[in-house]
Order: sequence, then structure tokens, then C-alpha cells
Amino acid sequence: MKPPPFRYAAPTSVEEVLDLLAANADAEPRVLAGGQSLVPLMNFRLAQPGFLVDLRLVEALTTLRTERDVLVIGAMVRQSAVERSPEVALAAPLLVEALGYVAHPPIRNSGTVGGSLAHADPSAELPAVALALDAELLTAGPSGTRTIPAAEFFRGPFTTALEPGEILTEVRIPRREGVGGYAFVEFARTHGNFALVGVAAVIEMEKDIVTGASITLSGVASTPVRAAAAERALAGTSADAATIEVAVDAAADELSPAGDLHGSTATRTDIARSCLRGGIQLALSRAQDRR
Amino acid sequence: MTTASRPAPPPIRTHKDGRNWVGKSIRRLEDPKFLRGRGGYIGDMTLPGMLHVAVLSSPYAHARITGINTDAALAAPGVHAVITGAQAAELTDPLPDFGPNPAAHTWRCLAVEKVRYVGEGVAVVVADSRYLAEDALALIDVEYEPLPPVVDPERALDEGAPLVHEDLGSNCAYERTFQFGEVDRDFADADVVITDRLRWRRSGGQPLETVGAIADFEVATGQLTVHTNSLSFTSYLFMVAGTLKIPANKLDIRPMPAGGSFGSKLFATKPAVIAAMCSRAVGRPVVYLEDRIDNISNCDHHGSDRVYDVQLALMRDGTMRSIKIDTVDDYGAYIQFGVGHHGNALAQVVGPYRIASVEYRVRAALTNKNQQGAYRGFGSEVNNWMLEQMVDKAARELGLDPVEIRRHNFIRDFPYFIPTGNVYDSGDYDGVLDKALKLAEYDHWRAEQVKAREEGRYIGIGLITAQERSVFSATEFWFWFDTPGAPVTSMPESVTLKVDATGGITATLYSCAFWGNSPETMVAQLVAEEFDCDPHDVSIVYQGSKNGLPATGPGGSRTTVMLAGAVEGATAKIKAKARRATGYMLEANPDDLEWVDGGYQVKGSPEARKTLAEIAVMLHLFKHSFPEDMESGLEESKVFDHPYTTMPSADRKDLGVFYPFMGHACHVPVIEVDIETGQVSFLSYAAVHDCGTLVNPRSLAGHIVGGTAQGIGTALYEEFVYDEEGQLLTSSYLDYLIPTAIEVPELKIGHHETPSPWTPHGIKGGGEGGRMMAPAAINVAVNDALAPLGVRLTELPMTPDRILAAIRAARESR
Repeated sequence: MKPPPFRYAAPTSVEEVLDLLAANADAEPRVLAGGQSLVPLMNFRLAQPGFLVDLRLVEALTTLRTERDVLVIGAMVRQSAVERSPEVALAAPLLVEALGYVAHPPIRNSGTVGGSLAHADPSAELPAVALALDAELLTAGPSGTRTIPAAEFFRGPFTTALEPGEILTEVRIPRREGVGGYAFVEFARTHGNFALVGVAAVIEMEKDIVTGASITLSGVASTPVRAAAAERALAGTSADAATIEVAVDAAADELSPAGDLHGSTATRTDIARSCLRGGIQLALSRAQDRR
Repeated sequence: MTTASRPAPPPIRTHKDGRNWVGKSIRRLEDPKFLRGRGGYIGDMTLPGMLHVAVLSSPYAHARITGINTDAALAAPGVHAVITGAQAAELTDPLPDFGPNPAAHTWRCLAVEKVRYVGEGVAVVVADSRYLAEDALALIDVEYEPLPPVVDPERALDEGAPLVHEDLGSNCAYERTFQFGEVDRDFADADVVITDRLRWRRSGGQPLETVGAIADFEVATGQLTVHTNSLSFTSYLFMVAGTLKIPANKLDIRPMPAGGSFGSKLFATKPAVIAAMCSRAVGRPVVYLEDRIDNISNCDHHGSDRVYDVQLALMRDGTMRSIKIDTVDDYGAYIQFGVGHHGNALAQVVGPYRIASVEYRVRAALTNKNQQGAYRGFGSEVNNWMLEQMVDKAARELGLDPVEIRRHNFIRDFPYFIPTGNVYDSGDYDGVLDKALKLAEYDHWRAEQVKAREEGRYIGIGLITAQERSVFSATEFWFWFDTPGAPVTSMPESVTLKVDATGGITATLYSCAFWGNSPETMVAQLVAEEFDCDPHDVSIVYQGSKNGLPATGPGGSRTTVMLAGAVEGATAKIKAKARRATGYMLEANPDDLEWVDGGYQVKGSPEARKTLAEIAVMLHLFKHSFPEDMESGLEESKVFDHPYTTMPSADRKDLGVFYPFMGHACHVPVIEVDIETGQVSFLSYAAVHDCGTLVNPRSLAGHIVGGTAQGIGTALYEEFVYDEEGQLLTSSYLDYLIPTAIEVPELKIGHHETPSPWTPHGIKGGGEGGRMMAPAAINVAVNDALAPLGVRLTELPMTPDRILAAIRAARESR
């Protein structure tokens, strides 16, 4: 379990990163963020980049700040820094809650938010969170910068809208201070392991009526998916127990997760049902507590 | 053999009262070096000029090798040698094999004409670094002709199934049906027969450190030195020299501490043979240390993999009469230890119950998987699980209380010969059960269960009472055959004690390099008990094999008992010499001396006294103060043989005594099943063990915790999954799931002490008990929880997928 030979550089600016990626395009280069997914893949020789561009010295990618109505997380901000940030706790508590499920603390000390999003593992927590929070992903590439909505970023398992030579630079999350309730719940066979199913939920209420719901799932398809049927079922209701069941059933009926050795399609659908109910109930109770 | 013709048991021992050190939870001697990172593992050791080996493994479950081209690999940077399976077969003979017919299921360090499982070695590269070696592996071009794989053990036994070993002519490596006692009569007399089909799937010990060896062949002398974290015992090493085609007296195995074994490093010869073969080929020291994929796919130490069809005959009041057990065990592609795992089962096949007769049919199936080896329990844990599921099912079907049906059948008279001929030396099963019920707050949880069911929650309580055999005899590896090839009877363990001129004591061990257990602490406590010194002042060293006394090594929970016997014997010799020397020093009759508090003194005149240090300095330096026949120095060894083994009868209706020191335990997990996700979580877990006299309660508690954690893995998480093509789907910890500290509950542990009449201090072995109990207990608990749904799980591990599938099936059948 040793990687094949590769060349390596650790530049200090985004421009240099893009230049190195372009200059070494023939070597199937990869950018290295926290390395918690890419390095094991290289050790298994499942990924064999000929050139590795390490982003750890690129100062510009380590910003973590709140702008007027947006939380901005640089692509190289470590997950543990986000998890501990008071700004994030206020602006996007859902993200903090989800990070608690990402592997184990030592992995989060190295792993980055941007790395997890760009890796686009279908079972990962953060892509589902980005989708639920309507995050925007900023990229830089040979033809300039782009802003891509999360809904358009994830294209398939380990596949994103990023073009060759293009990198993720920033995640922009609309601030939701004091609005509604949130929840992240997931089911993993063992603590810190890859989840079978995850649910991110944000629910807004006014006078006991749900005015908006954003619910996404991980692990049930090739990308994170929105539980649109559940969102519709909840909107405009008081979200009593019966309505929640209708919402859960509506969302589950649309799922057909691929089975593997950890769970058949039926098992994963059952588990998704449990996670949906748990996520909706928790988000609702928090939304009600807020009032 | 009839009861009357049984050889007499050994004399009953009188155990010392008022022990000072045996029974104390002293700090472990091993800890300081390991906690400081100074353990000195294989990965820490570098010899000058050392090269690295990587093994090319088969991607096919079953395929003929039609060609191998190594030219590109040989030309790669830093590569010193490439050795194919065919070349290895010229350099080495088959690996040591205790299987039924090694000439027909021949096992070598690398595959020769065909590969028999995914992960089997095909060639090796020796290079300057592991990186370069792995780069070169990718350049080896192997041509395979795929063959149909044999994956399911029962299908493997079908007529016309593809053959794993053509020379064997069948995939059934062993089959025999044993009858112990009057099975037909007892079944005819029974009121009811409970039947079931049970499936235990394979998992394995997962040491943090994999198996490895550093070999250093000295061309000038022909001397081969191997440093390895396995194989650290002397009794069977000549077989490894045989594989390497060198004289046994040219091989020295130096034991290294191991980062865990759980049985999986027991006599693991392959890495040592590969490293040695390569060292001899290149004339330099060579290391082969498995990586995780090597270990999971090619360690030769997968655990039991059994299908059971069982019939338990009982009376309506719950009295158990007889049991018929029919099992197919999936051994994988080879069968290095034969069916010794079933010897473990037969040692305690009736559990703690008075079951008068037993039929035991075993079939060993060969399939295209990595072979079985040793894993904590060695097959006895599977028998415990099977028996407790049957008892649990019987209680349910007869409407009996699960505690009372067990208590009703308990054995209470000891020594007790079970139908197979093995003996239970001592026990107090009621005492253990009472303690466990209290510790577990059993009645409280039964009340909670009722409340929870009203709330739609599924809580289960998993009470089991089961056996914990210790100290195996060699007979269990050959009593399977009417004319065994090697009916060996020696299973010794040795210790040398040296008292230096200052009175300091050094103990030399001949096996048992540190395996995560506590051999040094055990020996130091036993020495301190004998000599009235502080155990932390005892020095422990390990001898290499070449100058080693006979030793069998850790396995079958034998270490502490056997080391205690060796320490006791060496001590007796030292004390005899010291007593005689003191007689001369005090001008007293040695018979008038008594050992008191670290020295000899004249009975009735305690002022006439010599301490051990005073005696030792005289014996080391003042030869002329003693008679001519008194040798200088104070050092003695003891080779301690198994204290109680008897031979099987010729007709094998009685297997003799082969696992006599019988511990016992009661585990009571309380779990809750989330019936929507299939998740099992623990609400409480109590475990009471009786391993005879305790040497170090905290150390035994550690064994119980670790073994139970592994049992939780076996019950709920761990499985080597091979698909229909024989591909291993769980080749890393991504998919082979091990419970973490979060999944393992805090255990409430109780100890009960029923001394053995036949071992030093009354000690019994306790190294495997946690894993012998937990799978059975958790299965019972899950079934207790799901009983209202009409669901009963009969297959381990009980994954969410299996639990939910069972719940869905029960719903559909309503």
C-alpha cells in the first residue's frame, strides 16, 4: 500500500497552482487539499496522479469570514477550524453539526471543507449540507473564475462541474442567523465510518406553519439529492406527526439507492426513512424552540 | 473406554494460603516500554543493508497460471530479485502443515500452477524499498486462465463441484461422525427435539501490527537468523527449517513483540519463509511485513466459517438429554491446522449442562478463500454460540424461563467427565450465575423491557452461561484419525530462573513474546510469590529458538498456567540448592530449615537465617565454602509438560482428557434494536468469569474487555465477505468493520474464583473468554428483543441488512 512515483509542488498562490496544473496536464495532475481521501486512494493505487499540487501554502484559500449575508469558507480551511468557529456556529450551525459526523477529530484536523466538496463522495456529509444550504462554489481555472450553485456542482460519484485545470477556491453559504431550525442526522455502521444515509434539514416556521423546508440526502444516489417531495409535503402545514409521515413516505418513495454489502436497496430505503424522520423532527423542534 | 478404565487423574494439589502477589492487580511490567514507544516492533528494526519484499497477489479466486514474465520487473529501479511461485517451489519445500492430507492439499509460500484464492501470492519482488518493490509488482505480467470458483461451502461438497485441489479428488478435506454416549436411546427417551439451522460467518483477529519477519542469511556460516512477531516458540521450529531446506540447528528465530495477535500470529510461518527465501537469494537481510491488504486477504488466519444443523433433545421440564450436531466448516483453500478447531468445540461441547450423549458430524470444506487459522476461541466460541442459541430456542418453545432452564441443567459434581471424554476439573456455575444476575440488575431490566415494549421499543436481554476451556493438549489435533500421521503428545513450556550474585532474579521465557497479553507480568508475579520479592524487580528476557528449551507458545489460553508450572518447577530446584547451601552456611541440617520471607532460617530459631542474596553471593563466588559436588551459581530451568492429558480410546468413542482446566462465564448484555434501521445499541453489559485462581484481576479484566469487544465485532460487524466470484469485498477497513470504543459499552465485570485442583495455585486460563461468550450472548439478546415481532436471527454477524431483512420477512409472512 505505497503510492507509485509522482512529482510534487507546493506553490503559494492560486495563479501558480493553475500554471502548474496547466504545465503538467499530461501527468494527470491532482490538487492535494487535506489528503484524507486522495492519499489513501493513492496508497491503494486507485488514484495515480503523476503530479501533485499541494494547496497547503496558498494563503488566499485559508480565509474564513462573514460578509454581509454570506459565510465565506476558503477551500483550504480545515474542517476542525470550521467546526470550532463561532462565526460558523451562528451563520451555519447545520454545517457544524454535520462536521461532527465526518470521520474522527484527527482526520478533521487535516481534512478541508473544500476538499470534501471537490472529492464529491456520494456518501459524504458536506455535499448534502452545501446543497441544503444553497451554497455557491467559487472556482478558478484557465478561463477565469466561475460561481457554481451547489445544485449544479455535483455531477456523479466523485465527479463535479470542475473542468480539468480548474480548482475550487471558496464556498459561499447564505447566512441564516436566527432563522428556523436545522438538523443533520446520519446512519453509519460504526462511529466515524462512511454513512449509509445522511439527511440535512433546514426548516423555517412562522406562527406554527412551515414556511420553507430544505431537505437533502447523502448516500442514496450518485450525488446528494434534494427530498423535494418531503419539502412540498411539509410546506404550509403545521407539520404534525401525520404530515411528517406523509413527507417521509413521499421522499422515500422517490429513492432507489444502490445496494452493496452494507445494505440492500430495501435496507437503505428503510434507513433513509428513519433518517428523514429524525432530521425533520429535530429541525422542527429547533425551529419551534427559536420562536 | 469405560469410566472404570479411565486413567487416574493427577494428584489433588494443596494450594498455598495467604498469597502475597498472586491475585494482586499490580501495574504491568510491559507497559512502560510500550507506552513510551520503545517496544521494538518489526517496523522499528533496521539491519544494515536491509532490503524490502512485496508480494504480488492473485486477483482471481481460482485460475491456472499459464505464464509469468518478470523481465520488466527485474529491470525496474532498485530491484534485486524477482521470485515466482515456480522458482520458490525449487527454493523451498511446502509450508508446515498439520492438515489431514498435506500431500494432496499442498500449501506453499507462493502459488505454483494455480491460484486458489484472491490474495494468494504469485511472485515476490525484493527491492531497496517497499515503494520500489510495489512499483515493480505492477510490471510483472501473469497470464491466468480463470477457473470456476468454489465459494459456498455446502456447494463445494456437491458432486461435480470444481476442485480446489485436484490431487485430493474432492473438496471435502475431512469427514467423520462421532457418537459419544447412547445418542439414539436418549433421543428416543426425550419428549421434544428442538432443531435449527445456524450460520456463523468468517471474521478474524485484526492486530494493529501485521505479521512480519526480518531474515538474515549468513552465507559464510549457513546460519539463518529470523526476527519475527510470530512463530516465537521452539517445539515445532524444525518444521520451518525443513521448509527452507536447512538443518534445524542452523536456524535461530528471535522473538519480537507483536502489536496484537488474538491467535492470528500463532505459528504464522509464511512471512518468515518468504523473507528467509529472499535473504538467501540476495545475500542480504530482508524484511517482509504484510500491509493491511496482505493481512486481510492472505494472512492464513481467518476464523471459523460454519453451517450448523442441530437437534437438541429435551424433556418437557427442560432437562437436556442429548444433542446431534452436524456442521460444515468452510476452511478456505488450505487446512493448515486440520480440524483442531472442532477439538476445541468437543472439549466443551455440552457447555455447563448435563447432556448425556452427543453426536458430532464434521465436514471440512475446501473453497477458494484464504484459509482458516487461529482466532481467539479457536472454534470453541462457535460451539458456545450454537449451543446457547439452541438452549434459548428450547426455553422459548417449551415456555421455560431462560435462567431456570440453564440452572436446571447445570453440572454440579466435579471433576465431571463429559460424553466426549474430556474432563471439567472444577466449577461453580450457580455461583457465577447468581453473581451475574445481581451485577446485571437482571430483574430491573426485565421490568424495563416490559415498559419499553409498551412504548414500541425493542429491548433484549441476552443471558448465556458457557464454558471457557484452557490449556490444550496435542491430542486434539490428531484424535480425528484412527491412524494419525503424527500422534504427538508434548505441549511443554519452559522457564529458566537465574538468581545473580546480588540476589536479583531474571526469568528467561522461551516463547510468548509479547502479544498484547501480559506474560512478563504473570511470570514476575509468580516469581515474586515464590521468592517474596517485588515483582517489578524481576527481570524478564526472551531466548531465541536456537538455545531455547522446549516451548509451545501462547494458544488455547495456556500461557499463564504453563508458565506457572515452569516457574514453580524451576523455583523448587533453586530452593533445593539454596536450602542445601544454607545448611552449610549455618552449619544446620537442611531439613531443619524453612523458607520465610525471602530467605532460609532454622525452624524455631529465626535469628539463624540467610537471605536469598546472602545465599546467592556465596554460591556464585565462594566455591570452596561448599562441598565439591556443589556447582557454582544459582540458575535452574524447568520444562513443564501438560499436567493432565490422557489418550483417546482406539474406537474414538472417548477422546480422553485434552482440555481439562475449564473456566466458565455468564454474560448479560442488554441491547435495544432500532427496528427501522436495524441498529443494535447497548444499554448495559455485565460479564462474570470464573478462571480459577486469579493471578492479576486487572489483567484478566483486560482480556474480558478486549475479547468481548471482539465478540461484539463477530456478532454485529466483522465479516470477510467473498462474492459469488470469490472476490473479497472487504479487503480493507473501509468495508471490514471493527467496532470502535464508541460501539463497545463499558462492561460491568465480576470475577468468581473456583480453583483448579490440578494446576499451580489453582489457576485456569482466561485469555479468550470474552470472545467465547459475547457472540452467543448478543445473538440471544437480539432475538429476545425481536421476539414480539416473531423474528429470530440465526446468522452472524447480525448486520442492519440482515436484521431488517428478517423483520421484513416476518412482516410479509403474517
